[in-house]
Amino acid sequence: MKKPSQPFADLSRTGLPDLRWRPGRVLAGFFIALCIALLIGALLAALTFAGRSFATTGSTVADIGHLVRMSAIQAGTSTLLSLIVGVVLAWSLDRLRFFGRGLIVGLLSSALVLPSLVVVSGLIAIWGRVGWANLVLAPFGISTGASIYGFWGIVAAHVLLNGAFAARVLLDRLEAIPPEKLKLGRSLGLSTVQRFKIIDLPAILSSIPGIGATIFLLCFTSFAIVLVLGGGPANQTLEVAIYEAVRLDFDLGAAVRLALVQLVVCAAIIIPASTLTPAANLFGRRSELHWPEGMLVSAVQTVLLIGLLACFCAPLLAVLLRGSGTAMASLFGQASFWQAAGTSLWIGLASAAVSLGLAIGLGMARSLQRRNSPARMILGVPVFTYLAVPAVVLSLGFFLLARFVGVGPAQAAPLVLVIANALLSLPFVFATLSPPLEALAARHTKLIRSLGLSGLAQWRWVEWPLLGRPMGYAFAVAFVFSLGDLGVISLFGTSDFSTLPWLMYRAFGAYRTNDAEAIAAVMLIVAVVAFVVIPRIFEFLTHARD
Amino acid sequence: MLVIENLKYRHERGEMDYRFDLEIERGKIAGLTGPSGAGKSTLLDLIAGFLPPDSGDVVLDGRSIIGLAPENRPVSILFQADNLFDHLSAGANVALGISSKARADSPEVEKALADMGLSGLSKRQAANLSGGQKQRVALARTLLRNKPVLLLDEPFTGLDEETAHAMRAIIREIVARQGWYAILVSHDKEDIAALAQNHYRLENGRSHKV
Ligand SMILES: Nc1ncnc2c1ncn2[C@@H]1O[C@H](COP(=O)(O)OP(=O)(O)OP(=O)(O)O)[C@@H](O)[C@H]1O
Ligand SMILES: [Mg+2]
Repeated sequence: MKKPSQPFADLSRTGLPDLRWRPGRVLAGFFIALCIALLIGALLAALTFAGRSFATTGSTVADIGHLVRMSAIQAGTSTLLSLIVGVVLAWSLDRLRFFGRGLIVGLLSSALVLPSLVVVSGLIAIWGRVGWANLVLAPFGISTGASIYGFWGIVAAHVLLNGAFAARVLLDRLEAIPPEKLKLGRSLGLSTVQRFKIIDLPAILSSIPGIGATIFLLCFTSFAIVLVLGGGPANQTLEVAIYEAVRLDFDLGAAVRLALVQLVVCAAIIIPASTLTPAANLFGRRSELHWPEGMLVSAVQTVLLIGLLACFCAPLLAVLLRGSGTAMASLFGQASFWQAAGTSLWIGLASAAVSLGLAIGLGMARSLQRRNSPARMILGVPVFTYLAVPAVVLSLGFFLLARFVGVGPAQAAPLVLVIANALLSLPFVFATLSPPLEALAARHTKLIRSLGLSGLAQWRWVEWPLLGRPMGYAFAVAFVFSLGDLGVISLFGTSDFSTLPWLMYRAFGAYRTNDAEAIAAVMLIVAVVAFVVIPRIFEFLTHARD
Repeated sequence: MLVIENLKYRHERGEMDYRFDLEIERGKIAGLTGPSGAGKSTLLDLIAGFLPPDSGDVVLDGRSIIGLAPENRPVSILFQADNLFDHLSAGANVALGISSKARADSPEVEKALADMGLSGLSKRQAANLSGGQKQRVALARTLLRNKPVLLLDEPFTGLDEETAHAMRAIIREIVARQGWYAILVSHDKEDIAALAQNHYRLENGRSHKV
């Protein structure tokens, strides 16, 4: 039997990073980590410095305590419902086998990076004042009004995105249950409930706190969804308040104070949460053994699955149907659209390339360090930037930094967008690439070392061909993530410098709903195409050289 | 002469203190047996440089190699599995052992493969080779690299009797012809009887000559 080899387990017994093998790679990883740390440090310094130097004009400074409380209630509700939806979806998907299951699982994986404005647009298309629901209900004299705006609309959008994310991670855990356990359970004839309690629950329980904390943080710092669906100061997050302080009240002092509170709250959540679970691995191994439930339970699962998937897919379908046709044709006639589309495209590609580079650099260095070493931990930390410093705060930091070094927002904007989005998508890219990098190191390092391959040869012959698929997927994730970004652009966008989400938000604001819907449709189509095409391109490139 | 001299090691959080003493003559194969977990693979890792010993020395023809990094040691290893990169062709796997610029279809590679009875398989992806063919591709690469110390960690396990028989013959012949020093770890008495001129047994963390 093969034992998992740990080629580094004993090479270095000190806490220091091991530089004896591939020192270039290790140093490159630490260099990347250092650069990210310095950048974040500079942004935080700019924030605190600005906090002291700008007095708030006190125009509409929100009651921060109230804001935090309301956001926490919203995030807590969203998290609870997301987890429930996630468990039900994962449980049903684990048991059922049907045509198109792989596609659905893939859809769930990409939900977290789906542009949230697309989901918002879809929900409005269905539940808004002139949405489908009201069209159907009108003959009966009933109306849902504009109920999608406000608390429950925000929660619904959050549950759509995060429920899918939770389902994907939990499904991974269920599929990683060792087949021996399933065989044992089956031969004991466990009932549905017993099976869930004895086999499933222990497998998913350990990841619930980690997933829950992540979702809570995402909802607590939610920006685009709350901005569009919030409908007033009653439903705000700190992120939205920061945006409004900067762009509506021109009150940098208030914005900085809000940002500092935001940072403290994030830190208070993320520090304990990061010890709860290892980062979710979206590429789990799959056990071949399939143990379906009985007829009745399967029927219930099918109904649940169809219902939840309908809730998930209907808004996306609505976006496509309402956004295409004449709306899209009129959009295509506008020069501002093509300009924004071009900007979105190149910024998305550039930030995805940067993110991929950072993740590979960090991941390679990390896979060269022994388990549980401080060096390994340090190399994993920059990845959490996104959760610790949410988009608008990051954007505000860049905004102030540019001001301090005397660069105008317009000049700084393109570079800021590329870097900020690369940092923000880093956790997803890293989570995708790190496990295959580790697996590769564990499996092949002895052979590579004993053959004395150079670092370049190792990349060319071993890593490049074997990482093609995950690299392509990671690139697509980063691209789609930055394609949908509204947080970073929100402080830098102008009528001259615009991306698709910014253009869409401004169309919403100007009640040009048709334009907004058409842009949402375009973003959705580009996102789907990216997920289909980019991994193929990478696979082609990596195999073409073989 | 390859001398493993008072080589001491203890796994991190491990219970056993290992101490190894072995001597292998040029062109000979030393058999190494012992119960599972006795430390056979650990000893090979120490010789190959994947683990740093707490003390002791490995001396090849009067020169200590203990200070060398694994990639610089005059050592080849053949594991039970994972000796090849599955995504590369047989030829590319062999070529990688020469230099990263060597071509998979060079005459040198073709000849090494042919010597192992694998002519015509150069372009086949390693994943699609049988277990015995994989081991012979790895052996072809070892032959080209021509490092004097050959470490074999249960290389015949999982092969059918005929293939294992053929592999034994090839290995015995190469080691003698090239004047290598080989250590063969095996659970199979027949392997040891057929190949090994000396026989060491590991027990309770010590090596004994049998
Ligand atoms: N990195 C490690 N840390 C701690 N203990 C280890 C480590 N690697 C191996 N061991 C332990 O050292 C002992 C010897 O392992 P080794 O792999 O050398 O045995 P072996 O004789 O090759 O056994 P087998 O016949 O099963 O291959 C085992 O008890 C093993 O669990
Ligand atoms: Mg062993």
